[in-house]
Amino acid sequence: MVETIRVNLKVNGKQYVLDVPPDERLVDTLRYRLGFTSVKEGCGRGECGSCIVLVNGLPRHSCLTLTATLDGAEILTVEGLAPEGKLHAIQVAFLETRGVQCGFCTPAFMILTKALLDKTLDPSDEEIKHWLASAICRCGSYHYYFKAVRKAAEYLKKGKILFDEKEVRKNIYKLPLLR
Amino acid sequence: MAKPLAGGTELLLLIRDKKIPTPKYLLDLNTIRKELSYVKLEEDKIRIGAATTLYELSQSILHKDKRYAGFVDVFYGFATMAMRFYATIGGNILSATQYNDYLTLLTVYEPELVLVSKQGERRLTLEQLVLDKRKLAIKPDELLKEIIIPVPPENSSSSFIKFDRRRILIAGVVTGAVLLTLNDNVIEDIKISFDMVREKRVPGRAKKTEEFLRGKELSEEVVEEAAEEILPSEMERVSDWWTTAEYRLDMSKVVLKRNIFRAARRIRGGK
Repeated sequence: MVETIRVNLKVNGKQYVLDVPPDERLVDTLRYRLGFTSVKEGCGRGECGSCIVLVNGLPRHSCLTLTATLDGAEILTVEGLAPEGKLHAIQVAFLETRGVQCGFCTPAFMILTKALLDKTLDPSDEEIKHWLASAICRCGSYHYYFKAVRKAAEYLKKGKILFDEKEVRKNIYKLPLLR
Repeated sequence: MAKPLAGGTELLLLIRDKKIPTPKYLLDLNTIRKELSYVKLEEDKIRIGAATTLYELSQSILHKDKRYAGFVDVFYGFATMAMRFYATIGGNILSATQYNDYLTLLTVYEPELVLVSKQGERRLTLEQLVLDKRKLAIKPDELLKEIIIPVPPENSSSSFIKFDRRRILIAGVVTGAVLLTLNDNVIEDIKISFDMVREKRVPGRAKKTEEFLRGKELSEEVVEEAAEEILPSEMERVSDWWTTAEYRLDMSKVVLKRNIFRAARRIRGGK
């Protein structure tokens, strides 16, 4: 019999009480127990960064975190950035700068952007690079992501946090391709 | 057998890769992490809690005073930004391999390590604690509680270089640290460490080279002689999958020279 440990988790604003085996990783809890599939497992050893989520506001590899150690923690994934029908400024910025190619690593980069912009809305170029280097993108979208961080910071500085998803979708294809 | 779990960035990988027998219990230190995470300056020593995360180190005095400049070097080459938020300094030391950058750097600061158990406290030096690769003098019922660094003299600074093909997320084919104390232009004291010096595959000191440099006037020629003549006489590098022993030795010389001059520049207020 596998023993379980009870943990109280707040994921994307919603409270959960879970009984998890002690060796269950946060990435498995989020993906398979709770269905937050924006969290991806790439290497499973903290190198690719695709599984990064925010735990109590700080980035953390969910593949190197045991859920049982997180009692009382607050977790944010991309699903929690904006409510239904809305998009967060970071998501809009990533769309508009054409940051998304295959999309596998994008959630991790958005989460990193969120953590960075929570700390400062005026990050230096060096700082942005340091933070974005936490995850790996095999399509090579780094320079788009770099622009996306700047653009998201601009939106947030103007106080534009939430956008109407329908509006964004309607206009996104009219934008010129960035090169 | 029980294993204490702090950040988990090393332990969970060791278990995953089956490099250690799967422990029956993991002892979660997160519940006492707050008490074990601090950087305190006290007269002539700095006390660092073992569960201080690397990010917390970067917010402390260690990143503001030139005497600890090497900590800044290590920080920006350590794993990735995301990992620096939960990897701990104690965990890095107790991983005990030649690729633990904080271990290489701390070696030159000659810290005291405080271990606690039900029987009480005991204090060890790094050399007494880290015996060889993944071999520690820590007993199963002991926890690393604190790292105590003696404050170096005012006219000191340190430098750390990790040499490899990338800047981050890489082990480093050669890493080295130097803690230099200059009196005008005379080397009052110098401590040199590398990821390995000889035999033991953990960070060690290049003591002969230190001995040679101590008391000498700092100049291109002296440093050149130390790196080209003295260092190779006490260093034994190994070849492996990544690179050859010859290359490692060559790069060790370069790292030593760059470290010394960078530390000297920092003492004089440069970068």
